[in-house]
Amino acid sequence: MMVVMSPAAPPSRDNEVSDWQVIRRLLAITWSYRVEFLQVVAFQIALLLLMLAGLGLTGVGIDFVRFTVQPGAPEPHWLFGIAPPDAWKPTQVMVAIGVGVFVLAAVRALLTYLAQASLNMLTQGRIVVDLRPRVYDKLQRLSFRFFDANASSSIINRVTGDVQSVRMFVDQVLMQTIIVIVSFVAYVSFMLSVNVRLTVACLAVTPLIWLCSTTFARAVHPAYRRNRELVDQLVQRLVESIRGMPLIKAYGCEAGEIRRFQQANDIVRDQQHGIFRRLAAYNPTVGYLSQLTLVVLLGYGGWLAAKGEIPIGTGLVVSAAILQQLAGQISNIATIANSMHQSLRGARRVFDILDEPVEIQSPAAPARPEKIAGRVCFDHVWFDHGEDPVLQDIHFTVEPGQCVAIVGPTGSGKSSVMSLLPRFYDPTDGRILLDGINLRDFDVDDLRRRIGIVFQESFLFSSTVAENIAFGHPGASREVIEKAARIAAAHDFISELPKGYDTVLGEAGIGLSGGQKQRLAIARAVLLDPPILVLDDPTAAVDPGTEHEIAAAIETAMAGRTTFIVAHRPAMLRRADLVVVLDHGRVTQIGTHADLMAREGYYLSALEIQNPGAMP
Amino acid sequence: MKRRLTIAPASDEEIDQSSLDVFGLLRRVFSYAKPHARKRNQLVALVIFRSAALPALAWAIGAIINGPIQSGNLTAILLATGGFAALAALVQFGFYFRIRHALELGEAVIHDIRNAVFEHLMRLPMSFYDRTKLGRIIGRMTSDLDAVRVGVQEIVFVSIVQVGNMIIAGALMLWCDWVLFSIMLAIVPVIWLLNRYFTRRITEDQRLGQESFSRVTATLAESVNGIRVTQGFVRQDVNADSFRELVADHSRYSLGAGNTSAIFLPLLELNSQFFIAMLLVVGGYRALDPDIARPVGDIVQFFFLSNLFFEPIKTLGSQYNNALTAMVGAERVFRLLDTKPEWTDAPDAKALPKIQGRVEFRNLSFGYDPSKPVLKAISFVAEPGRTVALVGHTGSGKTSIINLVAKMYLPTTGTLEIDGHDITRITSDSLHRQMAVVHQHSFLFDGTVLDNIRFARPDASVQMVIETARQLDCMDIIDALPKGLYTQVGEAGANLSTGQRQLVSFARALLADPRILILDEATSAIDALTESRIQRSLATLLQSRTSFVVAHRLSTIRQADLILVLDHGRIVERGTHTELLTLGEIYAGLHRHFTQSS
Repeated sequence: MMVVMSPAAPPSRDNEVSDWQVIRRLLAITWSYRVEFLQVVAFQIALLLLMLAGLGLTGVGIDFVRFTVQPGAPEPHWLFGIAPPDAWKPTQVMVAIGVGVFVLAAVRALLTYLAQASLNMLTQGRIVVDLRPRVYDKLQRLSFRFFDANASSSIINRVTGDVQSVRMFVDQVLMQTIIVIVSFVAYVSFMLSVNVRLTVACLAVTPLIWLCSTTFARAVHPAYRRNRELVDQLVQRLVESIRGMPLIKAYGCEAGEIRRFQQANDIVRDQQHGIFRRLAAYNPTVGYLSQLTLVVLLGYGGWLAAKGEIPIGTGLVVSAAILQQLAGQISNIATIANSMHQSLRGARRVFDILDEPVEIQSPAAPARPEKIAGRVCFDHVWFDHGEDPVLQDIHFTVEPGQCVAIVGPTGSGKSSVMSLLPRFYDPTDGRILLDGINLRDFDVDDLRRRIGIVFQESFLFSSTVAENIAFGHPGASREVIEKAARIAAAHDFISELPKGYDTVLGEAGIGLSGGQKQRLAIARAVLLDPPILVLDDPTAAVDPGTEHEIAAAIETAMAGRTTFIVAHRPAMLRRADLVVVLDHGRVTQIGTHADLMAREGYYLSALEIQNPGAMP
Repeated sequence: MKRRLTIAPASDEEIDQSSLDVFGLLRRVFSYAKPHARKRNQLVALVIFRSAALPALAWAIGAIINGPIQSGNLTAILLATGGFAALAALVQFGFYFRIRHALELGEAVIHDIRNAVFEHLMRLPMSFYDRTKLGRIIGRMTSDLDAVRVGVQEIVFVSIVQVGNMIIAGALMLWCDWVLFSIMLAIVPVIWLLNRYFTRRITEDQRLGQESFSRVTATLAESVNGIRVTQGFVRQDVNADSFRELVADHSRYSLGAGNTSAIFLPLLELNSQFFIAMLLVVGGYRALDPDIARPVGDIVQFFFLSNLFFEPIKTLGSQYNNALTAMVGAERVFRLLDTKPEWTDAPDAKALPKIQGRVEFRNLSFGYDPSKPVLKAISFVAEPGRTVALVGHTGSGKTSIINLVAKMYLPTTGTLEIDGHDITRITSDSLHRQMAVVHQHSFLFDGTVLDNIRFARPDASVQMVIETARQLDCMDIIDALPKGLYTQVGEAGANLSTGQRQLVSFARALLADPRILILDEATSAIDALTESRIQRSLATLLQSRTSFVVAHRLSTIRQADLILVLDHGRIVERGTHTELLTLGEIYAGLHRHFTQSS
């Protein structure tokens, strides 16, 4: 039989939490399901005893037949001293034994089912169902910093694979360990009851089996890890070639790509040979070692049986069967060790999330003003991601209903200014006041509901147009949704969609043009009629030819709201009540469009380069 | 309104399991083992040996107990156990090669299929990539091929050994005591029926479980990618509720599948236990009845041999599912391999000689789907060395024109000539060697800046690359990178800024020194200073080659020798910037919009 070994875990980079701490925490989780867990353990112990009883009874049967047929054969050892009445004929005894074996087996089958079903219920029905939503819920509340720092596939895997790893600790590690220990004790005691010296002789080989499987596991883990990396590289090669296909075709580089892929493919194949050799050596070695115990049993045990010291049935035959089971359990240890690695790694990643502090918190007694006028003041705001300052001493005030345009080169901090408003991040120093109240004094959810946001690239969900617009308020009536769509100049094109507002958008909103998506995003932002509107470069990903469609939507959406917009185009900038020019996180210029055009500086030169012919 | 987070993604290329041509697939997979015929033949021999050797070992145990041990002959016991140890050693020695050969053969087969698939992928035209999702291709190359690998490495050979064991153990038992054997045989149909019923149910449960799980992951993926929106619009609680429902739904299926197999496996086990009980009763009776008086040893023999008869049924049952997965995997991989390219170069296509770069569209129509033309009756000439700017709304046909010039697609009707050669009569390679393309998103391959610039000419010297960068006047920008030309650009060029990526792809195009240049200008706004550098480099790049530019920058359009204004797949205006402004119609209108919004 093959040992199926999952590739080993890469070494954990996080050494702060020791394995033991993770184990203790996993044990604590298991403890909260202790009733179910102990129930399964009880089932398993009962199963083991029943199995031994069945085997023993079979042995007794063999011995009984021998005793009856062959004169001089030793008398059978009746289990627990339950001997059949002397009056029974031998055939009657055999039928009784047969029925006994079958009844034991039937009870075992029932118990096996119950044990497995309660284990399933414990793991898939309880642990996973409890843990997945917990991790998911926590994920949703983590700050953007976390999402900036982790790849999305890794985050997704925490809720899917890693949660299963926690579950694995319960059924594959803890439960299996208990089973191995209990069976070892039961098997050995049974054999000891047959003959002490025979037991010792037979078990002499078993430490070797254990040694073999652990050494093997240790030897192949790095090779498997390397294999995983190489396969990842190969897949990466494939992905790149397909993503870059237009380029490869246009430059006629197919042959070179094929050559590079073949090289990576050869490396994957050649690296595996070492694993194959070890794998091929491991299975026969362990197989042979367990057969050696059988050889000892047949040789030494056979001699004992020949001398009449042990019976053939309950002695030899049953011991042979038990030794086979034992060998299986011992090679199980390697699998348990492997599962342990895997589950610890996964559990760490799950606990990472559960322990991750929620950075942005609402105060205990938040300010809940009835109405918000929309006066925003950046009061000497500093901000960084833990390294160089991203924003330095930003200071300006916006009156209710005004429109502020933020301008500056890539990396100057425009998006950071925008993300401080809905408290996606908090300033490291200074404060932002809304109607004179510090943003930190609001309830976070309440604050965000009062701010409509449009991102650079609008993310739409795979549901209907109406549901996407009503994203922030799922209970919104169709009337409210249509009103928002009209404000965002989206009603007309929505009406032309196959099912109007009930048209289902493909994954990530495929099927709409960039301009249409942005207009839906604007509708989504104004649905709750927020006093503040934040537009982070809403035309960045849009064809300049269709930009004017959005410009119109923005125009109506802005009416009556304090608006922050990151913009490049003169039309938008002219419209703004205040233009803030950022460079390297500092405000370098501030004023109206006309003010700034009258002064030398970044603003003037940037607009000139962009559009030398269309100077105002 | 009904709360819903997501809709399950369309399932991936369903394969009807009942329609699989099992033998055809096996033959085709194993045709890849031909180059490794020696290994394959040895493997077959080893498998046959093992089929016989395992029952022989089990029989030996019984025989030793019944013979030397029963009779109490010490030397015979030692000799027999010694023989058993030797036979076991031989069997395990063979097992070493059986495992190693199977693993190596499987890997070799997968390796060759992977190469074949990749080569095929390189041959497929762009239209294939328009309708095929990347994830699907990766799925073919990873999970599907892995399933095939397991099929070759394990399922086929393990199954043969199991069947062999059953036959030989069966024969041994028949020879030993036919009555006991018949009882055992009577149980087989029961096991077989149980197997059929339960594996079907479990497979169905698992399928439903997977579907429900893909809903869980799809929802998760959206939640993670849309986290900014979720938090910005305070949707956490709503999402958490629907997610909880999805997880509970998935758990129902997992529990269903788990509990079905929790019934199935004990039932199987019960069958073999039933046989042991029968063995004791019938075997005991036959030994005890003085008229029959079979040896007691029969019971012992059957006790060991029957395992080799029942275990394979279980093993084969569990292999059955894996085998199906492997077959479905193979079917999908071969379907990809069998995808016919929609077009290939004509068999009599000639290599294009060195060209001047005159491109002529003559009454050309084109549609990605021929029934929905996106270009209609296009005629124009691009003289050698001139720049043609393509202007129009999204979907007006600009990109289709450059795709046709690059021979990514073939015209539906009408002709496209390059220096008087019909594009359908020339080889793609010879055309592409005299052409360069700069895409909107400036895709870079993982590697150094140097590698990327040398993409089309891997043999170009570093000096030539530096020369090219100087010509574009962007060497200082490259030098400013952490390791200059040797800076790793990262996945899809992620380590570089948008502007830097554009300059690298300009250099890549310039180094190729093409006669025809195709440029899809980037739409995204970059900061003003980089922008001006890019404009200057662009002028150098366009110089003295026939260029087709999908233009988004007014300055680029203004410098073009010919502006084609497209609308709904037709050329609606043509001329130079001044001519079209004077004309005062569509272009002038666009221009007005443009200058206002920009």
